[in-house]
Amino acid sequence: MNAIDATDRTFRSPDAPPPSLLTIILDTNPHAWAHLEPTLPLQKAIANLLVFINAHLAFNHSNEVAVLASHSQKIQWLYPTPKPPSHNLTRPASPRPNGASNGTHSAHDDANKYRPFRIVEQQILANLSALLASTTSSDLSSTTTTLISGALTTALTYIAKAALAHAPPTDPSASLNVADPSPTFMDANDGTTSRARTTLTSRILVLSVSGDLAAQYIPVMNAIFAAQRQRIPIDILKIAGDTVFLQQACDATGGVYMEAQEPAGLLQYLMMSFLPDATARDFLVLPSGGAVDFRAACFCHEKIVELGWVCSVCLSIFCGPPEHNQCLTCGNQLSMASTLPKPPALIQRKKKKKKRAAGDGASAGVTPSGTPGPA
Amino acid sequence: MVANANKKSKEKVKPRGREMAWEREIRTDFRVREGQDGLIKGHVEGLVEARKRKRLRQDTEPFQRGIIRHVALVLDLSEAMLEKDMRPNRYLVTLKYTQEYIREFFEQNPISQMLILAMYDGICIKISDLSGNPSTHISALIALRNPRNPREVAKEPKGSPSLQNALEHARASLHHTPSHGTREVIIILGALLSLDPGDIFKTISACVADHLRVAIIGMAGRLRICQEICAKTNANDPSSYTVALDQTHFRELLLATTTPPVIRKPTAAAQAANPASLLLMGFPSRVIEDSPTLCACHGQLTRGGYTCSRCMAKVCSLPSTCPSCHLTLILSTHLARSYHHLFPLRNWVEVSWQRALKKGSVQCTGCLTAFPPVPADMRDSKGKGKVTNGNHESNGVNGAVRQEKVEGASESSRYECETCGEHFCIDCDLFCHEVVHNCPGCQSSVPEGDVVQGQNGAAGDGNRMDVD
Ligand SMILES: [Zn+2]
Ligand SMILES: [Zn+2]
Ligand SMILES: [Zn+2]
Ligand SMILES: [Zn+2]
Ligand SMILES: [Zn+2]
Ligand SMILES: [Zn+2]
Repeated sequence: MNAIDATDRTFRSPDAPPPSLLTIILDTNPHAWAHLEPTLPLQKAIANLLVFINAHLAFNHSNEVAVLASHSQKIQWLYPTPKPPSHNLTRPASPRPNGASNGTHSAHDDANKYRPFRIVEQQILANLSALLASTTSSDLSSTTTTLISGALTTALTYIAKAALAHAPPTDPSASLNVADPSPTFMDANDGTTSRARTTLTSRILVLSVSGDLAAQYIPVMNAIFAAQRQRIPIDILKIAGDTVFLQQACDATGGVYMEAQEPAGLLQYLMMSFLPDATARDFLVLPSGGAVDFRAACFCHEKIVELGWVCSVCLSIFCGPPEHNQCLTCGNQLSMASTLPKPPALIQRKKKKKKRAAGDGASAGVTPSGTPGPA
Repeated sequence: MVANANKKSKEKVKPRGREMAWEREIRTDFRVREGQDGLIKGHVEGLVEARKRKRLRQDTEPFQRGIIRHVALVLDLSEAMLEKDMRPNRYLVTLKYTQEYIREFFEQNPISQMLILAMYDGICIKISDLSGNPSTHISALIALRNPRNPREVAKEPKGSPSLQNALEHARASLHHTPSHGTREVIIILGALLSLDPGDIFKTISACVADHLRVAIIGMAGRLRICQEICAKTNANDPSSYTVALDQTHFRELLLATTTPPVIRKPTAAAQAANPASLLLMGFPSRVIEDSPTLCACHGQLTRGGYTCSRCMAKVCSLPSTCPSCHLTLILSTHLARSYHHLFPLRNWVEVSWQRALKKGSVQCTGCLTAFPPVPADMRDSKGKGKVTNGNHESNGVNGAVRQEKVEGASESSRYECETCGEHFCIDCDLFCHEVVHNCPGCQSSVPEGDVVQGQNGAAGDGNRMDVD
């Protein structure tokens, strides 16, 4: 018994699990949440999300969290709180608030709450209500979708910076090579590169409620590809809407894709499927892998297509041959030769062996030499 | 004064490879000078940022690049590869780096094809066939030293290389490839000689006629004939001939060829002979089945795979060609890897203290890192252009420092996207231009006066790509 209690509690022993940065993108599309009101009101969803965030923070002393709202008009940081542009710049700005070192407290401090929990909760609620209050009715009428590409891009830049801050300071050139494949390739053979290089494991969780993201096809694809290269899994919890490309994001980056059949059970979905970080996932059977929709969006009408015409120069996807056979993106004249239907490939029937042909009779006319004939 | 002289002479010898390592001037970057505030930190940071930006400013021109590539990689297996100037020897180093290279190549060019040849004992032998599957190439390379058949002996470098044989072999192997892709030959040459059976110049002309583009990476010294081959096959631009200074440089040069080559402005005649074409491609969806069914590619029982968008045949992996209807089947994420060549993100500009003050930016839009505050003297002397006038104690040196900093790095450590006007830090600048190819600012707001259609995918970053 004593042995158990005498565990070493020093902060971060060398083989403690690495800190994990969870970046949550909350899709706050007002239209979609209005539809969800009967089953899952936004207040309840936020309450559930806060419980989930607390669980993540409680897992490891050095775990971090960042929350972004992907709204219909703009994206907004919910946590950490960005500073407003100031024209009085002489005062040095305070360090990043993520380390729970933020000194600002509101009047109603709850002494019974774990401080990191309280700070996160206060900031998220304050920023979210500010965001919702600033949404005008003209904003609502102008668009019905959400800026998921911006949210993903911002999340990736934030994670990249955090990874730089956590990287071992031994190699100053490490920061120079964010994109350079070379450091990853130094020991690509053992497959442990990315873990060894940065001590921070990061992931992105998207709570998606909107569909129809075809308009942001290219930026979303760029973000997916970047996440894939940085080995940042993108998890998707789809509460509503139809998100073709986000499913591809999960598949490409090795994240978890879940469709919430019962939106009211949001907390259950979050806790059971999305809480384990990348380190823990190596040992778990993940609720993923079903059929994946890999369709693309055409560049001309932003229509989702299964069969597309692709320009060989710029790889733009079109839903039909473009006018005058000229690529709409790069302007090259395109030849249609290769798209003409080809006859279906049939397995060539093997020619009958000559032995047999000879046996058929003399009608063949050719006298096979070397075949023992009856004559 | 000294600094200026150094800079000039450095610019003069800019083209890499022309100079030898020992010819280069002694590097003077470590001169440390005090900043305005009497600290050296600012100056050192400026140098670091300038270096980062230098790498960045290369690749934002919206070039057309050959994205569907057909590459013949030619290794040197001649005696010269046994030299030990690379550790353990050139041959083993080449094999090791080539394996990395193949992985990276297919990562960058998922719908391209490659074959590997080797110059061995005066002739050119084939190591692997033209295919788009990296693992077949890698296993063929491994089999060079550890043959699968125990009766075969491991191949060790032998004899002399022959550039002519290699070019002819590559030309023949790439002859049937479709005209909308590029035909490239990448030769790794360790030897300083080429033992050719005939007139290599005839071969070069034949390569030019076949639209082959040759790149040569040397390991020893520059050869006139290599220069000739590269220049002739690349429209008189010999820059594809490079010589490695050492092991790391060799790796860099090799990996640099994974970037798709820039397509030269096509002349009318060339375009007629080599037209771009419209390809029909399928984006199949993955299916999971309860009971195993036969796949069309291998004829094996599998549970799940991808169904062809046209004929519903099931294939095991992508990218591939449908075995039944010959439709090219790919993942849209494969195509997406090349969109950043197509819609490059514009370079961000340095921000002066005045501009930073006007904008009032306190932290990076991308990562929320705080920017250094505008110095007090700047705020008083608004309107005045000179920063360095504020402090007179060590004016001369400081003036030079500031000037130098502005060339590459921003004096206020901010970088502005001219489209959305947001300010970013150097790390985000680098990350956005080299990895994501999106601007977080542009993607995060709907442009003014633009409604639903306004934010169409390309508009954020791509509006300005007018590749004419
Ligand atoms: Zn279309
Ligand atoms: Zn095109
Ligand atoms: Zn198969
Ligand atoms: Zn088919
Ligand atoms: Zn930044
Ligand atoms: Zn921008």
